[in-house]
Amino acid sequence: MAKSKQEIATSENTVRSFGAWAKSTFSNQSAILVVTLLILAILFQIGSEGIFLNFGTLGTILEDWGSYILLALAETFVVITGGIDLSVGATVSLSSVVAGWVLVQGMHLDATTQGSAALPYVLLATLVALLVGLAVGALNAFLINILKIVPFIATLATMGAMGGLAIIISGGMPLQGPNDFSLGIAYNIGGVQLPISTTIVCVLVITVIAGLYLHKTRFGLYTFALGSNPFATRAAGISPARHLTKIYMLSGGLAGLAGAYAYVRLGAGSPSNGAGMELYAIAATVIGGASLMGGVGRVVGVALGTLVLFTVQSGLLMVKVVTVSPDLKQVIVAILIAAAVAVQTLQKSNRR
Amino acid sequence: MTGKVIYEVKNVTKNYGAVVALDGASLQLHAGEVIGLVGDNGAGKSTLVKVLSGAHSPDGGTIELDGVEQVWHNPRQALEAGIETLYQDSGLAPHLTVSQNVFLGREIMTKGIFGKLGFLARKQMEVQAQADLEAVGIAFASSNRPVSQLSGGQRQAVAIGRAVSWARKVLILDEPTNHLGARQSAEVLEVIRRAKKKGLGVIFISHTLPHVLDVTDRIVVLRLGQIVADAPTSTFTADTLIGTITGSYKGAGSQK
Repeated sequence: MAKSKQEIATSENTVRSFGAWAKSTFSNQSAILVVTLLILAILFQIGSEGIFLNFGTLGTILEDWGSYILLALAETFVVITGGIDLSVGATVSLSSVVAGWVLVQGMHLDATTQGSAALPYVLLATLVALLVGLAVGALNAFLINILKIVPFIATLATMGAMGGLAIIISGGMPLQGPNDFSLGIAYNIGGVQLPISTTIVCVLVITVIAGLYLHKTRFGLYTFALGSNPFATRAAGISPARHLTKIYMLSGGLAGLAGAYAYVRLGAGSPSNGAGMELYAIAATVIGGASLMGGVGRVVGVALGTLVLFTVQSGLLMVKVVTVSPDLKQVIVAILIAAAVAVQTLQKSNRR
Repeated sequence: MTGKVIYEVKNVTKNYGAVVALDGASLQLHAGEVIGLVGDNGAGKSTLVKVLSGAHSPDGGTIELDGVEQVWHNPRQALEAGIETLYQDSGLAPHLTVSQNVFLGREIMTKGIFGKLGFLARKQMEVQAQADLEAVGIAFASSNRPVSQLSGGQRQAVAIGRAVSWARKVLILDEPTNHLGARQSAEVLEVIRRAKKKGLGVIFISHTLPHVLDVTDRIVVLRLGQIVADAPTSTFTADTLIGTITGSYKGAGSQK
């Protein structure tokens, strides 16, 4: 009798743990975003008179997605702690410019080095961009932890400073250096143009690792704890300052990698590479279900939220049945953000 | 009934700017003893709790644990020395699950390389948290629910269960029966009695004087940062205790 009870409990547990896994991986927000994507795909397919759904369009969307997802991930970690990082866009500019400067001014190379011969230089550019990003993140952490400036103002200051530095170092012009453009070109296998390139694969791998770290590790747990209740976190013996230093350096590092992505895409470090990107990154994060109040956010949601954002951007360009002014794009992005926040709020009030 | 002195503060002072929060307070806690720390709002109870738990450094005076002088620079040091504190109303992170809260700061990692990379043994902690809470006398349907989905009483139960299950020497409970109904309060008092039986020294801070008179062995009264009474609970009645807190009664146990 007792044994059969246990057996029932075990099988129930298996069902429940699968349910729990599905629930924890794909939250309500994610389900809504998947449905939104499907609806958008159908609408754009009709609106574009049947030319929207193909690997070419998908490739364009994924390329944009790749530009922004690293920043959206950076923003996700920061936002979950209850902070914000406005400097990520300027960090993209600065890190791509410094990478270009090292190759062009430092090593006297130029755009004539192409293809696989340029590969070592691309890797060097990536490393330089990453280090620049980490340095900006460390500066943000110093302003926030030591000078006790609130994250919004601290990163607003570094945003201005880093954007300015990028213009000074580059002289306001793109620094064209060695590049292997094939890294960013979609794979063509057996005559079929896939929507995936080497850069996209790299970005996808980083996204998966970020997801595992946020949801499966102690580092991720402390990130949520800090945003949920900083006092309880400190009382549990965790140093908020030490964790925030890691968070802002992670954010800067991801922005540096996004700078490297921009360099590879363009073959140049340009001071305009990251201009305004922070707002789209924050928008994607919020559409993906993260809360600016802290304590809430999922990488799956943010990846989908970024996808929704750029599906809208690309899709609107292809709509033929009505003329869509580019200015209307902004309005639609704004509506998306408002809708995402409304959904969050409604879910919260339903739970009570 | 009670053992040796386990935790002691001598002549502790703490100022916030011009405000004197603690003015030469001294306190002894024995193993297996429950003391009630009472006083009006602003008497210095919370400050004394923060000094005892390592959250604040006192401006003067000494702290001794098991007869050895200690200087806490942060709460972690006090936690590692076996002193657990339940803070008033703010002990848990609402977005985390019950088991994540129970293990916060003391996580179990998975075995092998993934553990070294920081991956958590989530399932193991859920099972362990459930067992720990049950051992303390708090039964829970599920330790993987977010704390935000629990009722106020359940949250408080988790916070207390967590503190009791981790405490090795001293348990400090700041207003643990606040916002609780009669039955839940009775359960909390029962948990305190069990902690005492385990040989822990318990400091119970509360405005609910019947609870204090019910569960404590000794009562310490704070007024304006000074300890004005320190006597066995049996020497107080509800009336004389209120009188001692407000300063209108200067009888048994009263020092000033």
